[in-house]
Amino acid sequence: MTQSLAKHAGPHSRKEAKDIHRVEINYRGIFQKRLGYNISHDIVYAAHSEGKTAFSNGRYSDDPQRNGIPCANFAFVSKSLGEEELEAIASAKMDVDEADLVLVLDDTLAKGLEPWGHYGIRPINQKVVEGSTILFVSRRKPEELKKLLEKKPFKYNLAVLPGDRSFAGLWYYRDDNSDIRFLGAVARVAPQVLDIETVVKYVRNKYKDEKRVEAAKEAFDSVVINEVTPDDGMVWPYEKPVLPAWQDFDEGIVVKSVKRGFKMGPRGQNRNPDFKRGTSKTQRPVVRFDTCIKCTLCWYDCPDECFDPTPDGLFDVNYEYCTGCGRCAQVCPVNDCIVMVDELKFDNTKSPWEQYTKNPEQYVRVMEEKKGLTREVPSPVTGMGEQFIELKSSVPFKAKGVK
Amino acid sequence: MVSTQQAKKEFESAKLYTSVHNIDLEEFYSSGHRTCQGCESALVMRDFVKASGPRTVVTGATGCMYVANTSYMTTPWVVPWMHTQLGAGGASAIGMAAGLRALMRKGKIKDEKINVINFSGDLGGGDMGLGGISGALQTDYDLLVIIYDNESAANTDIQATNLTPYGAQTTFSPTGPARRIMHTKWKKNVAAMLAVGHPNCKYVATACATWPPMDYMNKVKKALSIGGPTLIHTLDPCPKGWDYHPRYSGELGQLAIKSGLFPLYEIIKGEVRYTYDARKQKRVPVREYLEKQGRFTHFIDEDYELFQSKVDEMWNDWEIPGVAPLRGILKLSQ
Repeated sequence: MTQSLAKHAGPHSRKEAKDIHRVEINYRGIFQKRLGYNISHDIVYAAHSEGKTAFSNGRYSDDPQRNGIPCANFAFVSKSLGEEELEAIASAKMDVDEADLVLVLDDTLAKGLEPWGHYGIRPINQKVVEGSTILFVSRRKPEELKKLLEKKPFKYNLAVLPGDRSFAGLWYYRDDNSDIRFLGAVARVAPQVLDIETVVKYVRNKYKDEKRVEAAKEAFDSVVINEVTPDDGMVWPYEKPVLPAWQDFDEGIVVKSVKRGFKMGPRGQNRNPDFKRGTSKTQRPVVRFDTCIKCTLCWYDCPDECFDPTPDGLFDVNYEYCTGCGRCAQVCPVNDCIVMVDELKFDNTKSPWEQYTKNPEQYVRVMEEKKGLTREVPSPVTGMGEQFIELKSSVPFKAKGVK
Repeated sequence: MVSTQQAKKEFESAKLYTSVHNIDLEEFYSSGHRTCQGCESALVMRDFVKASGPRTVVTGATGCMYVANTSYMTTPWVVPWMHTQLGAGGASAIGMAAGLRALMRKGKIKDEKINVINFSGDLGGGDMGLGGISGALQTDYDLLVIIYDNESAANTDIQATNLTPYGAQTTFSPTGPARRIMHTKWKKNVAAMLAVGHPNCKYVATACATWPPMDYMNKVKKALSIGGPTLIHTLDPCPKGWDYHPRYSGELGQLAIKSGLFPLYEIIKGEVRYTYDARKQKRVPVREYLEKQGRFTHFIDEDYELFQSKVDEMWNDWEIPGVAPLRGILKLSQ
């Protein structure tokens, strides 16, 4: 966050608000909107039930939310402050500067965030402070996630709640106890926010269902906590976001358009340089250039214009701008040619076409390794989950000129 | 200024796309916008400006495609674009076209064809901004109004508009235990209503951005070359407001057309031509389309049947099937 924005963010540093525990809840817009709201709602109500003061709000600049875009809610819990005092400090803020507990509802957010109202890619652990905790729901080991975070000069904790991310949906809401499991996990990693007895009592009162209470207890027991030291993580490879102030507008509130420019080949199209939104994706399309029939439909159907035509009639993918919607994979008429693969398996946004032209066979081998043999077919309604298809074998590499 | 005769010639020889391989590769609406994953409306923007080319000025009424494309001082637009207020889509297009005509007459800019296109959402175009659009269609300026219709005010978090279909869940019409159906109005028939009410408007069409391929882009080309004010109404499946997985946007557009729910036609100087004739093809049951959306998951059998009966009525009983229902709604007194 820039200097100019920090000024408006208000007194959130430790000195000014000693007795406030700040929880940041990071989630995917729309898919997890109701889930995120339920979690912050439950944290506030559960804290109330144990006599604490609590307050929650959404990050102002996130609305209107878009599918997949990283969003955040905040919850503030205090033992000693009154309701009015807490609201005066915590309400209607653009963002928090620091958080004592960071919840991450989808592990692919670990690769960085480009929320609505901010420029550039920032790390998911931007708000952690010494001794605080960042909690993921993930099937991955803490060691794998640690590597993706930004290096910090102090020690803090990384906790993993074993489980799959829940894209619970908006109108159709999948009630799979994800919110309750998060409450149990919060009680484990931040007992100063909620303790487990409170959570159990709260869940029992709210749902009158022992299975749900068990879900909270199970989550409490299964959390894996790992210490992150100053040696862990990476030097953040992206530029620090700069948000221009209102004085930077041209006369008449003019926004400069993208300069016209197009040539064949990777990154040949001029694009909006200030807002790339690759961090919206949980999966990326992997293209088998060797089996492509050059029908152009992926390029024609891509709502983010991220397919670049190449001189040989193929279409390169610009992963910096790809949002991972999967329309290309859906429209592609060739069997297993474009497949959506988990974003965490990749560590760069290099042009796949360039990699392919350098060494076709190696590209196909590496990509097939990443794809594996399981294919995910999401249900039309997001909250209804997905199905998996197991393939017997992958499509063999087709050398050029061989039919 | 382009004379009427010249415009007529151009319309007849409007360089229509005959294959997806002929479509220009350059983008005038590029990447880096704040739309949802799988956004169909983004394709409506990209395709109309691709079809109209670089000599185009665009005005946009408030809505998703305004907020998503110019907020926080960045934009994916390559061509000049101007924001206007929610109800002012039509008026801004008139002003833009009049201004260009005056500048050309005075010799301040080169006398050439510059396309003026306004896009308004279903709220800006078919609901509260309808008056302005009607005004624009009664002028003699060359302009094109595109109503991109995602069936809700999706930008401000999915409020119902006049173009929201019966029974859909929105922020204004959430389902509940006491009342299952909260939105009881049927979708407003905007394109046909504007065609019937504006006899001087030479071209009115409905379209869906990606299906059938090139259909929408060719309609934009025709609208721009025929001269005078024209209108295109597009149906945009919206993964956010309709609550479905973004990868199925294209499928839902197809299903809406194949089920007969969204008739695809163009009205050229009063003559209706179907670009997908749902009478000649076997119509897909509407249920297949409705079941794939979270906003209709509260429907029970009787709702699906009601929906189907309305669509059947459209195609079986209307005077001009799928377009104008005069007989079904108005009756002469005896």
